[in-house]
Amino acid sequence: MASSDSEMDRRAFLKATTAGSAVGMTALAGCTGGDGEGGESGDGESGGESEGDGESVESNLPTYTYTNNAQSYNPPRHDAINLIASQFDEELGLDVEVDVLEWGTLYSRVTEEYDYSFSTWHTFFVSEPVTELNNLLNSGNTDPGQGNYSGYENAELDDLISSYLGEPDADTRVDQAHQIQQMVMDDVPMMPITQMPMAAIFNNNQVSNWQADLANGFNSYWTMINLEMEGDETVLKGYWPETLSTMNVLGHNDENKHVYQFNMMYDYLVQLNNNAEPDPEVSLATDWTRVDETTMEYTIRTGHSWHDGEDLTAEDVAFSYNYINENEVPLYSTQSQYLESAEVVDEETVRVNMAEPLGPFNLAVANLLPIIPEHKWADRENPSQQNIEEPVGSGPMMFDYWEQGSEFGMVRFDDHFAPVDFERRFWRVIPEASTVWENLISGDLNYEPFGRIDRQLNENQENENIGTQFEVAATFWHFTPNERQTGLDDAEMRKALVETIPRTAIVDQILFGFPDPGFNVVSPAFGPLHTEDVTEYEESVEAARSRLQEAGYSYADDGTLIAPSE
Amino acid sequence: MGKASFVLRRTLQLVVTLWAVGTVLFGLFRLMPGDPTSYVVSSQMTQEARQQLIESYGLNDPLHVQYIRFLENLVALNFGQSFHSNQPVTDVIATYLPNTLVLMLTAFIIAYVLGITLGVLSGWYRGSRFERTTVITALTARSVPTFYVGLIVLWIFGATFNVIPMSGMTSLGTGGQNTGFFDMVFSLDFLKHLVAPASVLAFYYMGYPLLIMRSSMLEVLSEDFIDVCRAKGLTERTIMFKHAARNALLPIVTAAAIALGYAVGGSVLIETVFAWPGIGREMVRAVLRRDFPVAQGTFIVLASTIIFLNFAADLAYGYLDPRVTYD
Repeated sequence: MASSDSEMDRRAFLKATTAGSAVGMTALAGCTGGDGEGGESGDGESGGESEGDGESVESNLPTYTYTNNAQSYNPPRHDAINLIASQFDEELGLDVEVDVLEWGTLYSRVTEEYDYSFSTWHTFFVSEPVTELNNLLNSGNTDPGQGNYSGYENAELDDLISSYLGEPDADTRVDQAHQIQQMVMDDVPMMPITQMPMAAIFNNNQVSNWQADLANGFNSYWTMINLEMEGDETVLKGYWPETLSTMNVLGHNDENKHVYQFNMMYDYLVQLNNNAEPDPEVSLATDWTRVDETTMEYTIRTGHSWHDGEDLTAEDVAFSYNYINENEVPLYSTQSQYLESAEVVDEETVRVNMAEPLGPFNLAVANLLPIIPEHKWADRENPSQQNIEEPVGSGPMMFDYWEQGSEFGMVRFDDHFAPVDFERRFWRVIPEASTVWENLISGDLNYEPFGRIDRQLNENQENENIGTQFEVAATFWHFTPNERQTGLDDAEMRKALVETIPRTAIVDQILFGFPDPGFNVVSPAFGPLHTEDVTEYEESVEAARSRLQEAGYSYADDGTLIAPSE
Repeated sequence: MGKASFVLRRTLQLVVTLWAVGTVLFGLFRLMPGDPTSYVVSSQMTQEARQQLIESYGLNDPLHVQYIRFLENLVALNFGQSFHSNQPVTDVIATYLPNTLVLMLTAFIIAYVLGITLGVLSGWYRGSRFERTTVITALTARSVPTFYVGLIVLWIFGATFNVIPMSGMTSLGTGGQNTGFFDMVFSLDFLKHLVAPASVLAFYYMGYPLLIMRSSMLEVLSEDFIDVCRAKGLTERTIMFKHAARNALLPIVTAAAIALGYAVGGSVLIETVFAWPGIGREMVRAVLRRDFPVAQGTFIVLASTIIFLNFAADLAYGYLDPRVTYD
């Protein structure tokens, strides 16, 4: 019996991480009912507690399915899921099958069809954590595709989140955010397995001064305008494993590879500094005022222009907000929910009217909606499906070329109010990780925008040409049980599951010690919004089993978990 | 049956085959599990917005309506618009296919010239050390995975000796400098990048024509007319290349036609290892992302090329060997 502690025996660990299929076979051989009903055991004898002799008893809990991505899609996460599933199966006495699926299938299986028991992937919280939690855990979002795929319902939490979102006072919001976290971690509808770090990986002979921001890490606007080029180097040279899909800022799918380009090509009303605070020095709006609960006024920077030389005006800003709202641009549908309209007050002022009160409007909307040129977009219908070949923005970098499948390049916009130090930036498509590292070490590339935590990083981080920097990020690998399934709606069961997950072993042995074990869905990266004062769960199979037994669960002689009868 | 009626019959078969391929593709992609919009949408998107997007792609229409629209578009050679990039599929194909063709055709020509020549020689010198060496080489070339050979080539010649570029079709950071595709293809930089992936692919493809040619040669060399040639006092070289090899060439025609057809589909592994922006990688990406229009469009182009080249090979048989009739 391995693994009640965070330190796992190496052999048991290796066996477990490759045991996905074995776990599945166990489930099949167990012949347990998938409907949660008790029933006859495999040999025809009736269920109930057995008396020694290795006699098995059929569990009155269903066979659970843990969805897993393919090994090739994300090797460490694939191994981690196999490990957790084997712990649930062998240590906690559940019957668990691992279902390996291609990503698109996995995602719709979990979020649309709810045909799963446990799910895990990399969750990205952007600059406002409570709007994310509202999407993921609100009791009103439990229909397919609405966001709450866990099926968690808690009216008290809904009210608290609603108060937070309408609260204009930042200090009050901080208190409310803490209460929300405490409530969530008490019930654990979702648990962070590992708190993933943001990693800056670069050639230290060519570029320095890496400062991360919360949402986009070391690929943020703040990072780029603060980077310093070393020696004679004037080009920032990055890569991505696969090609960009589009140059349409209103028609992409929010993948990082697109966000990281558009956040340099376009301006946003409000930009954040590395403390996640709106910073008027580097934003298109030089000042802002909350007029009332549902109205914000922004002073727009004068003398700024678009990349094609046209003036950027308050009309452009109001147009952008109204255009995105009226055309119901799917990518920004969450932000549009809060928008009523935008209007020009005078040459320098734009008023934004909200559809409902939203306290953190700057973080949740003004920081995320791009300002687009009216003279380019006014005649375009169906904006999300436009095929844009040469985008025109007003950000610190201008579109230069896009050789599809091969390379994308931008050049510096010299007239920008927050200029970058490098003259050009390109991204080359390189799918092969070892090639990337050869190029990074030789200086043909000088940064790794992906920040990939893997064996290559572990092996190369000590190279004299390589610099690394890590910051705690707002992202994590989540563990989410589907509360629609028998047994998983019980908070004690969920807590026991969480205690069984070997978070430290996953961090140390699968992720080379780079991340931290997770303990709170709102990461310390959120600064004052985060609190350490939440229920913490130890990593102990013994604790999990004791918890279940205290809650009325019992174990058959063969270790099968039996739920308390109604 | 005359040549004209043969062509007519085969043309009709070709149309039916293309319809069948299109129908199978349409069905296969719709039967695949998973939501095609899951890669297009953001996790931030509301359910209404998602539904709106599905409707805009026509994915909420009944299957038969989608099928009829698909067939209409197929006849008009309109493959639709990519779900992912919003580009017309023809533009996507036009972007990636030329890159693949340059790589694959280079490899194909090297492989078939070398393969046929070595096949002729190994058949002629049957039982010699040369034959044993070429057969072992051919079997090795066909057996070792191309990505593995590619990685070894990159490691030795790229990372260790730095004599070949590590990735792509042009040097890093030079994108946008070429004014057109042909401008790029005829540049020295491009040729340097082409050498390694083309050689690795040629090494892999070479084994097939070599082995076919060798066995075909062995068959031809046992025929009476070879003795007649010798009796006429022709030189060994003339007999080998002008008489034996020419008569042994027929099976290669079919093999080459099919291989050329597959070449249009690119080589996903080589394109990945050498970061070559070809159609193979794009095709796989489209399938994984449930980008139906791009996946269907690329597969149909691939299938059509194989079908047409097979047809062309059938016609060429009659020209190459007058004994072949069209009955």
